Formats: sequence, structure tokens, C-alpha cells
Amino acid sequence: MGFLRLALTNLKRHRTRSLLTIVGIAASVAVLFSILSYNRGFERGLVREFQKTGIHFMVVPSGCAHEVASLVLHGAIIPKYLDLEVVARISGLDGIEIISPLLVAQLPNTQKNRVDLIYGMEMKHLRIVKPAWRVKGSVPEKDSEIIVGSEVAAHYNLKPGDMVSYPNVKTGFRVAGVLEKTDSQDDAFTYLPLSAAQQLLDKPGGATAVGVKVKDPELVGRITETLTEKVPGIQIVTMNQVMNSILNLAASAKALSLSIAFIAIFISAVGVMNSILMTVFERTNEIGMMRAVGASRADIFRMVVIETTMLTFSGGVLGIIISLAGSRLIESFVRKVMPYVPSGEILALEPGLAAGSIMFAFFIGIASSLYPAWKASKINPVEAIKG
Amino acid sequence: MIELKDIKKTYRRGAEEVHALREVNLDVSRNELLAIVGPSGAGKTTLLHMLGCLDTPTGGSVLIDGIDAARMREPDLVNVRRKKIGFIFQQFYLIPGLSVFRNVALPLIFSKTSPDPQHIRSLLRIVGLEHREEHLPSQLSGGEMQRVAIARALVNNPEVVLADEPTGNLDTDNSEKIFELLRSLAHKGLAVVMITHNNELAQRCDRVVHMKDGRII
Ligand SMILES: Nc1ncnc2c1ncn2[C@@H]1O[C@H](COP(=O)(O)OP(=O)(O)OP(=O)(O)O)[C@@H](O)[C@H]1O
Ligand SMILES: [Mg+2]
Repeated sequence: MGFLRLALTNLKRHRTRSLLTIVGIAASVAVLFSILSYNRGFERGLVREFQKTGIHFMVVPSGCAHEVASLVLHGAIIPKYLDLEVVARISGLDGIEIISPLLVAQLPNTQKNRVDLIYGMEMKHLRIVKPAWRVKGSVPEKDSEIIVGSEVAAHYNLKPGDMVSYPNVKTGFRVAGVLEKTDSQDDAFTYLPLSAAQQLLDKPGGATAVGVKVKDPELVGRITETLTEKVPGIQIVTMNQVMNSILNLAASAKALSLSIAFIAIFISAVGVMNSILMTVFERTNEIGMMRAVGASRADIFRMVVIETTMLTFSGGVLGIIISLAGSRLIESFVRKVMPYVPSGEILALEPGLAAGSIMFAFFIGIASSLYPAWKASKINPVEAIKG
Repeated sequence: MIELKDIKKTYRRGAEEVHALREVNLDVSRNELLAIVGPSGAGKTTLLHMLGCLDTPTGGSVLIDGIDAARMREPDLVNVRRKKIGFIFQQFYLIPGLSVFRNVALPLIFSKTSPDPQHIRSLLRIVGLEHREEHLPSQLSGGEMQRVAIARALVNNPEVVLADEPTGNLDTDNSEKIFELLRSLAHKGLAVVMITHNNELAQRCDRVVHMKDGRII
């Protein structure tokens, strides 16, 4: 038997109180761990998503930089259109491998009393523009074939092979494929071959943006410079810029969420201190007895510190278990509230982060035990054992 | 064994001074069961705490094997308490969640020695509780609890056992048992000091010290 056993016994004496304190710590550690995992997963998923896309930069009408960030990743509506000749001028440059114009717009659908989100693209570039996609059915080969996002499919009850019609075009479209759920805005779009979209939206030759893949990624800087010089009225956004601006946005969300977690932890640490202080006062006699039978001040101090850290350590472990068990819930919650979330697993539940969070709970235990332990070590045995 | 020389202990209660002990001289020796008696407030407990190095005197010296504990610093006093002294209290002060065995072993946690089950069982045999090893204090009678406390006081093999009204919470039968136990310890070579309000028991001790107003009379 040692200090650990003794501490455990003391904690068990006030089962309910200890349990409540543990739950308090567990809740705040769960919040901390989830936030850390989310941030880690977010950054990782974002980088992964960007590495997968074959596009190096986007050309958009100037003044739409903000919308581009969302466009690049998922559809967004840009209120301006690029001139026809822009595409021609880009293709005139050296070192360009692929030019993929995109036309994204809203289309009020009076038949169905709904606004359709239309995404026109070169279907032959699908694998490059949207490498993460998994499509049920096939990829459109003809101008009369489309892909629908999973939400659209669910809403209109569509499956591969079905026909779709729009009020202002005579010919209908055949659904070639249904996009599997991506948990992003992609799910809400209808994907048409570019020329069909241009026709449908009455924008012949129009594009809201042009995705460009260069032959040598090293030359992105030089090519974008020449482009900006030569072509007026456009703006270039590279994938790195987009990624960085999303990461910057994420960083402020991270700072905010972490400070909330720290406040929660602070509050539960005060709870821990209070509960330990109570047990110390209740055990004044006993502590006096211990001093009489050979405990030094340091022994008493240590006993209280061990008790407290045991409490917060188990709270930390419980917190990790809670967040692991609830990770699905947290994930769907995050997807609902965050404007952009990379596809794939969003919580990086890493052993390192879990260990770090538990260690943190451990140190919170030490910190909140110092005052009660000091109080306990100051108990005068002579007065304490008088009863 | 322990020798008190001109021990004074003065407490301050606001402006007023309380002389708990005034010039007390006392010798405590092996093979002797010593009773301290006297009215409430006479200074008995204060004296016992001086003997046990739990408190330091305002004046005088506490000689333990010739070394003055009154001049010792706290860490050394802790060592004396661990190695030489065993305390027994009127209220037993057992730890509720720990078994009898573990309560007896408690002081070993502080002296950082691992408990020898053989040794602890032999102590439980001495106090007649060998069959209660795994019981919790709540499952014991008052007399049994005090016997556990005696075993705990003996676990570090002390030379002196100090008991402050050990029978104060017990009925006659149990008091008798505790008394016999303490007397047998004294006759095995320990120095045993016992504060008591029970005159009948005090008269059966080897020596009785009477106290009043902080003095031995
Ligand atoms: N911490 C203290 N502060 C002030 N006065 C104290 C303190 N401790 C003891 N005293 C006083 O010292 C005197 C002796 O107290 P002590 O506890 O030694 O008496 P006692 O003989 O053990 O009495 P009892 O039989 O009631 O236990 C009392 O007058 C008491 O009020
Ligand atoms: Mg007393």
C-alpha cells in the first residue's frame, strides 16, 4: 500500500462528489480534445483536398476574389462573367496544360418551384477538377448527359438513367451519374457539360472562372504574372492562396474555440479545487493523526496532490472516451455549422492529441491541488487531533 | 528514555497568556506503564504532545536518548515520531475506507517502508484481531477499533507508546482489555504513557503522575 492506494480510498469515500468532479473535468477535456482533433483533421483534410486537385490556379473576373475561395473548392455563385477572349488568351500562353472553364449559376426552376444550382464544366476534365468524387453510374459523354449531386438526386428522386427537363430548353437531359454524398456544397449542384450549361443559362461562351493546370508547377508564379500583365479585368487566385486564406479563417475559429475550451477547463479546475478543499477540511482530524503517526508536512502535501491528480487524470481519460464515443455526433455537428469542411474524416483522433489532453488534465490537477495541499500541510496536528 | 526538563508551554489567547505547562519535569522509562491523571485543562494532553515531539515547548528541554528534541527542526522531529513514538487517541482515528490490515500499515506509507504481512499479522495477534484483517472499521466495535489503533501505533516498532484517554470512549469491559494490552506492552519493554480519567485503572499502573494547572503535583 502506498500513497496511491490511500488517495484512492479517500476519493472513494465521497463517491458522488468525486464522480461529479470527474465528470466536470471529463466534459471539458472532451471539448478540448474534440477541438484539437477537429483542427488537426481540418488542416490535414484541407491540404489533402488541395493536393488532390489538379488545378493550379483559377482565373476569375476581377473583384470576385472572395467568392473564388469557395468556388475553387465547391460551387459558388459569382455574379460576373469572364469574356470569351480571356480563355483564348490564356491558351495562347506557354506552359499551360489544361484550361477548364467553369460556369456556375443559379437557375430559377419555375416548374418545380425551386432554384437549381447549375455547374457547367468540361466533363473530360472531371477527374482533374474533382479528383475526390465518386460517381454512381457514369460520367457524361454527351452534351445531353448530366451528373447530379446527392441532395439534388434525393430531392427530385433521381437515379442514373432518369430524364430531367428544364423550362427554357426543349431537349431533356439524361442523368448519367449521381454523385455520392460528399458532405459538402457539391451535393447541392447539378453538373452539366459546359456547352449545355451555357445554353441553359443563355450565356454562350461564358464562364465564371477558368481553372488552369500548368505543365510545370514550379512555373505557376511566372505564368500568373504574365497573365495578370497581359489580360486586363481578371484576377488570379492560386490554390495556395485559397488554401492559406481558408487556413487563416480556420485559425481564428481555432483560437476562439480553444479559448472556450480553456474557460471550461478553468471552471472545472475551480470545481476540483473546491471539492478537494472540502475533503481536506473534513479530514482535519485524520490529517492530524497522520502527522502524529509519522507523516511530514510534505507527505500530507503529496497525498492531496496525488488525490487531485488522480481525480483529474481519470476525468481526462473519461473525457477522451466520451469524445471518441461521440465523434460521429461531433462530426455531423461540425459539418452543419462550419461553412467549409473538407470531405473525409474530419476529426483526427490521434493518440498523441489524446495523450496530450490527458497530460493537460493531469497538470490541471497539479495546479488546482497546490492550494488545498498547502492548506492541508499547514494543519496543526496538535489542534487537529483534539477533535 | 524520554526526559522532560523544566518544560514550559504558554499559549496566547489574545492578550491573555495561558500557561498549559509550567516547569514540568518528568522521566519516562522502559518497562513502565505510567498514568497521567488530573482535572480537565490541567495540561495532560499538552504534556503528552511534548513527549511525542508533536509540539515544541516554550521553554525547557525534551531529552530523547540524551538529545534535546526541543531544539530539533521539524524534519528531525518527524523522524523521531516515525521511529520512536506510537500515538493512540481517544477517538481511534481509523481511516474508514481501509481494512484493518491497511489501517495498521498506514504509518509505513509515511516511513516509506513496505509492509511485511507477517509483522502486521503478528501485531493483530497481539491485539487479538487476527481474524479481522479484512474487516472495515465500520464493522468493528469501539474496543476493537481501539485495538486496531494500538496495532497501528506499534507498526514502526516504537520505544514509547503515548495514549491520550485510550479508554475514554469505551465501556468497562473494553477498557479493561485495552488497559491489559497497554500493561503487557510496558512489561515487554516499552515505555507506555496513558492519560486517563479512570482512577481505578490509574491506580493499577506502575506509576501515577498527578497534574493540576500545568504542574505535576
Ligand atoms: N492551542 C491552544 N491555544 C490556547 N490554549 C490552549 C491550546 N491548547 C490547549 N490550551 C490550553 O492549555 C490548557 C491545557 O490543555 P490540555 O489540552 O493539555 O488539557 P488536558 O489536561 O488534556 O484536559 P482534558 O482532560 O480536558 O483533555 C487548557 O487550559 C487549554 O485551554
Ligand atoms: Mg486532553
